Amino acid sequence: MVTLTYYPGCSLKTGSKFYQASIQKVFSTYGIGLRELPDWSCCGASAAHTVNEELAHVLVARNLAIAEKEELNFFAPCSACYSRSKITNDTIRNDISLQDRLNGVIAPLECTGSLEVKNIIEVLDDHVGVSVIAKKRRFDLSALRVVPYYGCVLTRLMRVKPFDDREDPRSMDGLLQALGATVLGWPFKMECCGAAKTLTDKEMTVRLSERIMGRAISAGADAIVTPCPLCQMNLDLLPSLGSTAPVIPTLFLSEVFELAIFGRMVGMASHLVSADPVVKKIKEA
Amino acid sequence: MDDLTFCKEMERESAEQISACYQCYRCTTGCPALPEMDILPHRVIRYIMLGEREKVLSSKTIWSCLQCYTCSVRCPNDIHIGHVFDTARKIAVREKKALTDVWTFDTLFLDSVRRHGRLYEMEAIMRYKLKKKDLFSDTRMGLDMMRKGRMAIFPHNIKDKKGLQRALGRIDRGGPIW
Repeated sequence: MVTLTYYPGCSLKTGSKFYQASIQKVFSTYGIGLRELPDWSCCGASAAHTVNEELAHVLVARNLAIAEKEELNFFAPCSACYSRSKITNDTIRNDISLQDRLNGVIAPLECTGSLEVKNIIEVLDDHVGVSVIAKKRRFDLSALRVVPYYGCVLTRLMRVKPFDDREDPRSMDGLLQALGATVLGWPFKMECCGAAKTLTDKEMTVRLSERIMGRAISAGADAIVTPCPLCQMNLDLLPSLGSTAPVIPTLFLSEVFELAIFGRMVGMASHLVSADPVVKKIKEA
Repeated sequence: MDDLTFCKEMERESAEQISACYQCYRCTTGCPALPEMDILPHRVIRYIMLGEREKVLSSKTIWSCLQCYTCSVRCPNDIHIGHVFDTARKIAVREKKALTDVWTFDTLFLDSVRRHGRLYEMEAIMRYKLKKKDLFSDTRMGLDMMRKGRMAIFPHNIKDKKGLQRALGRIDRGGPIW
């Protein structure tokens, strides 16, 4: 039994509440305890570092400082939260002058980068493992063909050691195989979905997300699987953004766990692109 | 020799060794944003080395960049190109050479975080739309998200807003205004 500090980030409390519900359901099955970070604030996401780097570090440092009091590792399911938190955390561990400067800004709070920042793939790999995952599944997902979609920010880290290969990550493939799903190979694991341009340049997000969707469909997939709330939102939003190209559902990684353990997903009704065809592919094992 | 003043300025502000570039084009070949750019990424780097300050700071390229870092992780000379581009954005805004939609939205996003401690998406979006005088172009997206419970109506306020705002007030504003 392990307990982690849970940093939900803004998405898991608003646009992707069902991702949080899904994680809680799956993690409790495996005995992973989550303690929500008290009074957490926004990580700055894609906006802060491009506007003012110190601001980006300060926003993260505040959360790390609160978390370090508990001494539990820091779990951030959102890819942007994970990436921004990991960059500051791992940097201040060695860059003492930055650490001192940030601590001067967030005083009386204080952080040293003593925790490990982990994403959902790492937590499931490290604290559950593929053999237990394979043992605990109760539904047969072999008819479900999925493409693993990691998105940009999970592993494309500069000057900070990524948890998996920067350009060809495979850790999520391994989890999906352990769940018994049919994992298809495709070259778009890391392609950009259009990120935060959805509002400022809708055509750009549509162009990029349509490419990913189209490639997943031509690979023969029934669903795209991602750990990232922004990737999930952009792909799921395609028809709402005016795209008329064919679409398949985009599932959160934890939702595939739900399918394998419970045969259904708590967030069915939250999907913009209906996930019904996916659930129909699941059989009792 | 060409004027190195701009190259040195960019290297100082970004802490990246831009002059290490030997024009291999890997940044450009991997970039997903080329159709939205006016100058190819490897050429922006070259223009920095050639001292073409105006061309770089007024380019569309630095704003079309998605910050996906494909270029950065592929650079054989370890230049964080995505960071070079966002550094150029900061200088462009500081010198009032550009006020783009991207900057407008990012600063509204951050202002929302400063006031609530967390992003209040609905407010940031509405303020952006009012500024753009374009209220209806994304109606379908907004309605679909609300129908599915994927857009919060009310803000989440953190308890220690004062502490957060005090910290943000201590940040060195020598950099760009946000």
